[in-house]
Amino acid sequence: MKVWQAGSHLMDEKGVKVADWSWRRTRRRLGMLARMALPYKGRTTLALVTLLGFTLVGLAPPYLAKIAVDEGIRTGDTHRLAVVVAIFVAAAVATLVLSGLQTYATGWTGERILADLRNRLFAHLQRLSLGFYERNRTGVIISRITNDVEALDQLVTDGVTSLVQNTLLLVGTAVVLFYLDWRLALATLVVVPLMGLATAWFRVRSNRAYRRVRERLGLVTATLAEDIAGMRVVQSFTREPRNQESFRGVNDRYREANYETVVLNGLYFPAVDFLSSVATAIVLGYGGSRLLDGDLTFGTLLAFMLYLSNFFDPVQQLSQLYNTFLSAIAALDKIIDVLDEEPEVNDRADAIELPRIDGRVRFDGVRFGYGNLPEVLHGIDLDVPAGTTVALVGHTGAGKSTIAKLIARFYDPREGVLSIDGHDLRTVSQHSLRRQLGIVPQEGFLFAGTVAENIAFALPEATREQVVAAATAVGAHAFVTELGQGYDTELGERGFRLSLGQRQLVAFARALLADPRILILDEATSSVDIGTERQIERALRRLLHGRTAFVIAHRLSTIRDADLIVVLEHGVVVEQGTHAELLARRGVYMSLYGDWAADVA
Amino acid sequence: MSAPVAYGTTFRRLVGFLRPYRGSLIASTVLAILSQSAAIAILVVTGRVIDELRSGAANTDLSLGIAIIVAIGLVKALLMVGRRFISGRQALGVEYDLRDALYARLVRLSFGFYDRHQTGQLMSRATVDLQAVRFFLGYGLIFFAQHIVTIVSVTAVLFVYEWRLALIALGITPLLIGVAYRYSHISHPVLRDVQQKLADVATVAEESIVGVHVVKSFAQEDRRQERFERSSYDVFDQSVIANRQRAIYVPLLSFLPMIAQAAVLIAAGHMVVNGSLTLGAFVAFNLLLAMLVAPLRMLGMWIGQAQRATASGERIFEVIDEPEGIADLPDAKPLPPGPGAIRFESVDFAYEPGRPVLQGIELEIVAGTTVALIGHTGSGKTTLASLVPRFYDVSGGRVLVDGADVREVGRRSLRREIGVISQDPFLFSASVRDNIAFGTPGATHELVEAAARAAQAHGFVEELPKGYDTVIGERGITLSGGQRQRLAIARALVIDPRILILDDATASVDASTEALIRTGLAEAMRDRTTIIIAHRLSTIALADEVVVLEHGRIAARGTQAELLQTSAVFREIHEHGLLQGLEASA
Repeated sequence: MKVWQAGSHLMDEKGVKVADWSWRRTRRRLGMLARMALPYKGRTTLALVTLLGFTLVGLAPPYLAKIAVDEGIRTGDTHRLAVVVAIFVAAAVATLVLSGLQTYATGWTGERILADLRNRLFAHLQRLSLGFYERNRTGVIISRITNDVEALDQLVTDGVTSLVQNTLLLVGTAVVLFYLDWRLALATLVVVPLMGLATAWFRVRSNRAYRRVRERLGLVTATLAEDIAGMRVVQSFTREPRNQESFRGVNDRYREANYETVVLNGLYFPAVDFLSSVATAIVLGYGGSRLLDGDLTFGTLLAFMLYLSNFFDPVQQLSQLYNTFLSAIAALDKIIDVLDEEPEVNDRADAIELPRIDGRVRFDGVRFGYGNLPEVLHGIDLDVPAGTTVALVGHTGAGKSTIAKLIARFYDPREGVLSIDGHDLRTVSQHSLRRQLGIVPQEGFLFAGTVAENIAFALPEATREQVVAAATAVGAHAFVTELGQGYDTELGERGFRLSLGQRQLVAFARALLADPRILILDEATSSVDIGTERQIERALRRLLHGRTAFVIAHRLSTIRDADLIVVLEHGVVVEQGTHAELLARRGVYMSLYGDWAADVA
Repeated sequence: MSAPVAYGTTFRRLVGFLRPYRGSLIASTVLAILSQSAAIAILVVTGRVIDELRSGAANTDLSLGIAIIVAIGLVKALLMVGRRFISGRQALGVEYDLRDALYARLVRLSFGFYDRHQTGQLMSRATVDLQAVRFFLGYGLIFFAQHIVTIVSVTAVLFVYEWRLALIALGITPLLIGVAYRYSHISHPVLRDVQQKLADVATVAEESIVGVHVVKSFAQEDRRQERFERSSYDVFDQSVIANRQRAIYVPLLSFLPMIAQAAVLIAAGHMVVNGSLTLGAFVAFNLLLAMLVAPLRMLGMWIGQAQRATASGERIFEVIDEPEGIADLPDAKPLPPGPGAIRFESVDFAYEPGRPVLQGIELEIVAGTTVALIGHTGSGKTTLASLVPRFYDVSGGRVLVDGADVREVGRRSLRREIGVISQDPFLFSASVRDNIAFGTPGATHELVEAAARAAQAHGFVEELPKGYDTVIGERGITLSGGQRQRLAIARALVIDPRILILDDATASVDASTEALIRTGLAEAMRDRTTIIIAHRLSTIALADEVVVLEHGRIAARGTQAELLQTSAVFREIHEHGLLQGLEASA
């Protein structure tokens, strides 16, 4: 059993680090986003065109003001002034329409891409083999599909827009300034190198500072998650004040880290503002003297001043965007890593659909080890005729669950062949195999939804009668009808309101309704009261009847009733036979049996 | 959680979090006003310089005006630095306070609350919602205030310059406010819904991933996918609605100021032409107006943010306002010293009204003895035990520990004397040592090790990579069910309680481990009052007395020998156990 601690995953999500800036990786990132946008070509194009359009239109007003001053007001041509203002209004209307369309198209496409990405990630996760889930912590996997996709949200909706828009505005403004008067433009933009220096300094420092902020925020979140999940223990052990205190510590460290960003922002942004004042002064001083000399118009001077604010705003916006951008890329990289993960068990291209099976299971010299880890099964030979109940017994770590997982083809053997009714499992599709299997894990895992939905999990189209029949057969009917809404009672998070024994019975009903040809059952040890225990024994007999079954057995009665007992030790079958045969042999089984006997003595 | 409350009320409460920072609020507002004045001054000087240029004297000296602009620019920058430092500190303080208040409430909420609410949902309030609120209170509101300062001061100056032009320019203001208000009004429910749908996605993802082996076992990937996609596209649908509103209102909010600019351009142009306005004043007026555009345009954004923050604030207040459920009386005294005697006096209990779980329980447990509670699933064993540490309050009757009604003593003093070992022990991702010393953080290593030895955990702990310093859950360090249970027993022993409560504590372990645990338990129970919720004969054997529960009532009680005569349920268990015993000796 794994200890899953809510939130603990956040501990090792240490900030955001974009490690790989290679062209290959960058191309991969862009390619992926582009491919996701591809189905929505029309809207993406609309978003881009309207974005370009309204950014360019946005450059017009100061220029129009210049014309109004130079050609309308100073010459006293009120008609000309009216025309210019009419153009100005037209530009405003164009901006209204274009930016409306742009917001809509970008928002739609962005949200759609995120929804698609979530779905694609989810589909991919479902395809991955159990090995992936055993290597990675649940919390980390969940966070890929929630937090990381969310982190991309800012990028695909506001981020890209803001990036393109501000860059265009910056370049566009510079171009217009040079077009208006290149000497004045050059003089004004002497502040640019200074600004570049300030921005570079700010970027480096704030990148570091924000990373620390994210790290410590991660710690805050992790602490919260764990304390909420374990609040009952916290209260049982009266740790409230102490936990509050340690949470304050974490919260305070986060605040400290954040204050550094306040200081950085507090220095950088006023500095940029000061530079813009200097630029204004330059325009007035140099521009004014040129005006006095008569080679600059009032309108141009006014336009320069209006454009200057266009110039400094985007710089500030872009430097703020940088952090959003880094987090989004880091999130994207993590998502790509998951999508690159290949299932260890794949259907072959020529995989056949496994026909309806009788359930004869054969292991021929099967050897197996997890990943690169040392071998855990060392040449298993077993021949189980259809309809046999096999009890797998042995100490923890002997390889019982591994054998069960191989039959379900959650893993492929390293060597040897595992076949059902003569079909090598590697030649059949996983889906067709598992449709005929029923697997009951130790802890009956329940999903949010009603009791009926949980029982009908493998057979969604089952009628209420079938569900009730299955529940009745395993003895779950009685307690289900006592629940608030009977079979329509909603089960909370992980079936919270049912006891362990009840959850097991529901899991049995689920397996029974699926009517599998081969049943794999990881028997729970005595976590239930005696009445339920009896019911479970009865239910088991009902469940095992008429099918091949592999039971990782803990109950004496189950073992004793089994047709075949397979005793495993260190990944090797050491004994097999019936209860009586094995007792007569006085070997490993006999000594294991001694332990059980002592248990009930 | 309660129904949505009025938007205004929530908003006012959110703003209430700023109250402790009145001083720095005033300081930063003053600084904002000053730097705003500096910005206006720069433009006024600019206008003067232009008029001087206009007068066209060849010897016009621009250097003074320019020096003034640079000087004011510098002062303005310094004011801004001060404003940012002060308001930044305040913003972080507010965030800290909010988080602290939420946490303080979470640790006080009773078990009943945690039974009703899923961890994921609570987390989403504590992170996503809190983020929205803190952004608004911390930064949004400050920028908003700053923008208001800009709008008011620039407007005033505009009126001083030329009141007729100012009237024209500000003619659109009512319309602007109307549009902004309308936007705020319709976007609020939609944005709230988006948040909720996002939380749903997380829930579906979580359960599918935690239960992936079940999904795969029954080859139900397609249906899970369908389910996930449904909730994922629900988010999309709702976001598209929010986005459509944004696409209509936000551009409109920036369009209206441009119309004002156009009106000013034509009117002021005419005034310059007929000589009632200087060109310098015209330029200054236009530049001032340009200063207004950004704040007015941002108005929509801040409104959206205020909306989001208020929606989130509601969700946070739902938690903060949740009644504590179980609170100490104002005059609660500490639990009096005693040996750990427990008495239930005609105790009734129901989780939901009308569905009694326990009825008329009369039970006295003598200090230092061990009582086994047995009975079928749902008979109320666990519930009965959780009334002793006052995880829930009785609906009728009372529970006494050493003569004191548990509702009349301080909860902490009560729980400190009770060690609880639950069915499925929760361990924290901390070192083994910290987990064992959970209830007694200062415990010495000797104490921790002694508890671990008594609980039969010392052996496997020593074998972990870093022994007692091994962090659970890190780098694939996982523990088996039996190991976790033994750590939970050790954890309960370290606090040296008067009373021990063991719920199903020997579940999910194999026989040899169970024997080990039993040895640990026998050690643990010495000199303590113990309630065991037992399923096995071997565990029942540890008890001095057995209480059989049936449908929330005590059906029988007595020693094992007595119950064999009087209780059918007990006989059933006993025979089952005996049966296994016979098999064993076969």
